Amino acid sequence: MGSRGRGRGGGLSFTHEQLQSFGINRGENTATTLAPPPLFPKLEAKPLPLNCDAATDYMVIVKDQFIEYLHESPAYVKPNTRTDGIERYSDKYKQLALDAKRGKVLDCVWGNMPAELRPQANRVRITARKRKLDDANVLSKKLQTLEKKETLDENDETAENKDENTVKKENENEDDEELEDEEEQEYEIDEGTDYANNYFDNGEDYDEEDDNLDDGPVY
Amino acid sequence: MSHQLGRVVSEILHQYFGEIVQKVGHDLFIYGSKPIPMIVKTTGLPRKQVVESLRSLVKFDLASFEPSFNEVVADYKLNPDNVLLLIRYPRYLLQIKTKFGSEAEILVEELLQQASCTASVLLVTVAAKYKDDKEKNITLVKLRDIFISIATARYIQQAPVADKSEVPSLEPVATIVPDIDIRQLAQAMATDTLADVNDNIYWKVNFDRFHQDFRDDIMVKAITRRIDENAGELMHLLLQQMYLTSAEWAAESNPTPALDLRDAVHRTDRPDCDRKLLQQYMDHYLRVLEENGAGFVVRVGEAGGGQYVVRGRHAATQLLLAALDHTVTERLGSKAARIFRLIRTKKYIEEDDIQKHAMLPNKECKELTYKLLEEHFISIQPMRKAASSGAMAKAVYLYHIKLHDVAQSLREMCYRALHNTLRRGQHTRAAHARLLDKQRRVRSIVHSMRVRGEPQQHIDDHTRAAHARLLDKQRRVRSIVHSMRVRGEPQQHIDDHTRAAHARLLDKQRRVRSIVHSMRVRGEPQQHIDDVEETLTPPELSTLKDVEARLKQLSAAQLALDKNLFILNWYFMYPH
Repeated sequence: MGSRGRGRGGGLSFTHEQLQSFGINRGENTATTLAPPPLFPKLEAKPLPLNCDAATDYMVIVKDQFIEYLHESPAYVKPNTRTDGIERYSDKYKQLALDAKRGKVLDCVWGNMPAELRPQANRVRITARKRKLDDANVLSKKLQTLEKKETLDENDETAENKDENTVKKENENEDDEELEDEEEQEYEIDEGTDYANNYFDNGEDYDEEDDNLDDGPVY
Repeated sequence: MSHQLGRVVSEILHQYFGEIVQKVGHDLFIYGSKPIPMIVKTTGLPRKQVVESLRSLVKFDLASFEPSFNEVVADYKLNPDNVLLLIRYPRYLLQIKTKFGSEAEILVEELLQQASCTASVLLVTVAAKYKDDKEKNITLVKLRDIFISIATARYIQQAPVADKSEVPSLEPVATIVPDIDIRQLAQAMATDTLADVNDNIYWKVNFDRFHQDFRDDIMVKAITRRIDENAGELMHLLLQQMYLTSAEWAAESNPTPALDLRDAVHRTDRPDCDRKLLQQYMDHYLRVLEENGAGFVVRVGEAGGGQYVVRGRHAATQLLLAALDHTVTERLGSKAARIFRLIRTKKYIEEDDIQKHAMLPNKECKELTYKLLEEHFISIQPMRKAASSGAMAKAVYLYHIKLHDVAQSLREMCYRALHNTLRRGQHTRAAHARLLDKQRRVRSIVHSMRVRGEPQQHIDDHTRAAHARLLDKQRRVRSIVHSMRVRGEPQQHIDDHTRAAHARLLDKQRRVRSIVHSMRVRGEPQQHIDDVEETLTPPELSTLKDVEARLKQLSAAQLALDKNLFILNWYFMYPH
């Protein structure tokens, strides 16, 4: 009941006196229309005639010519033809007409355009994305080094058999290290939450800092 | 960046560059600046088409780009102002034609079509185009001279130069009037080796220079209408003096001494002004210009026989006010215009005082005032009284005009009207795509028959058979229109329907003309030409005439609206 004491009734927001000052008399306040305004409202006054002199005629002609030129040029981008699956006799002619226009590329100053708009943009992209391994030379080199390694390993195999025990030990050591690593990782994960940390301060370290300061001069 | 502007820009793009460029342009207008993948995503168009549209937009300087954060990809941005300039192209051509003759017009037209072009390519293509035209007698030497003179007068300028990066940044360069080697060009033209000519300076049309001309014309014309031809000439000379001493669009020019002006009057050779009279009474004319010239010119000092300043900003405001007065008169009638002018002269005025001063009946006056308020021509400013008794006297409502806001709303109106006229013209083309297509097919059949050298009789038979169906359709449309008119449907609908039939007719007329032309060129007997021309029947011809008149009216309306927009933009050019 926020409106109590201010204005009467829910519908009107003005008093009669206020309405009268706006020029609305008693009974003239027509009900609000709920229909949307017409799409083409009636013109109240006929618009003035346009002046049609030779200059206007000239400009109209020039404008049409310019638009026609643009429509014939590749600047006018044509939509892809959509087929509805029905073959028509005219399809051939349509295709011919389209092909004649489609081949052309807009004649631009390509240096002033971003690279992605230039006609050879696709080629540029491919070279930019080239992977190292695709190059035959690099690939063969890599294979060669791998081969060499393999032959070296084969040579070492006899030696390896002799030192089997040491190797085993080494393996065991490595295993141990791996285990430790895993444990460490788990520990770190546990540390992830704040609750795992011990923030309790029993006050023992309270005076330690001062003592440290006294220990030696600060440079 | 208003909604109406977006609609106009999109409609213009549709008319000039087709549906797909329109989609891309509208997308850019809504989102500001974005890279290609984003445009592809929101428009749903294939990447290739988006790239093609962007090429068109960038070429004609309707969109700009700048490198986005990863340097290889560009962000594109639409320039709506440049799109609106497309409507003004005919006016540029008319201007250059009246100033420099038809050769200059041909050069500028070619340059507008190419957007930017090297001097050698431009000259050679134009010369090649008109090589066989004996009437115009265009030679390379003549073209070169005109090119240099319009470059000197800054109607064309050097296009910005790009650096060699993935996304080039365009740096504007100072225009240097070039030396063009005619012999080399003539050789290149004769041997068709234009590509070998080493010319990498690109040129484009300098729109701003044309706009200065338009502004001068408007000011001179305004003074001529207000005072007389001699005063107009004086205004013209003052503007010329202004160019010598101050920036082109300066709000107020540097002072020009009357002595300089007197010298200029001695030198003037304009046919439409009485030089003797102007010389004799120059001081009087200056006085009248100052007192009665809408404040375009003011006297600021006495040195050198009086110093005068041209006030461009004030002139723009005055012209805007005149345009506003007209708009109010045409929209709401002369009584509303009276109230509008009253509020303007009183600056801030109470409602009761409007009634007193406008001398209108109480109720009518209030109605008109509220209507003006509703259409955003005037604004209201409540003034609260601090402490007073009684509910009524609590606030005073002052009516006033916020010129900047009103100018904005007038511009919106212009955009909306422009959009409507464009839309109207577009309707014909869109609604009857199928008929147009049919027409094209007829043409291709005729063409292929002609190539195969079949007798003319067969060709005519084919065209007639194809046209019989079209004629039938035309008849049906007309009967629908008739019945609609009888039923008293609004003119709007009838117009739409009549125009529906016209797209095809217009196209047909063009085709027939081109066929006739080609036949004439090939020297075919008159008999055949007549036969083809007869495919356009008398009723079709009469409808055609009707439609052409209407389309011309729409185009003329667009040009007139553009003139209005020019004044508005001139007003907005100065900070307020």
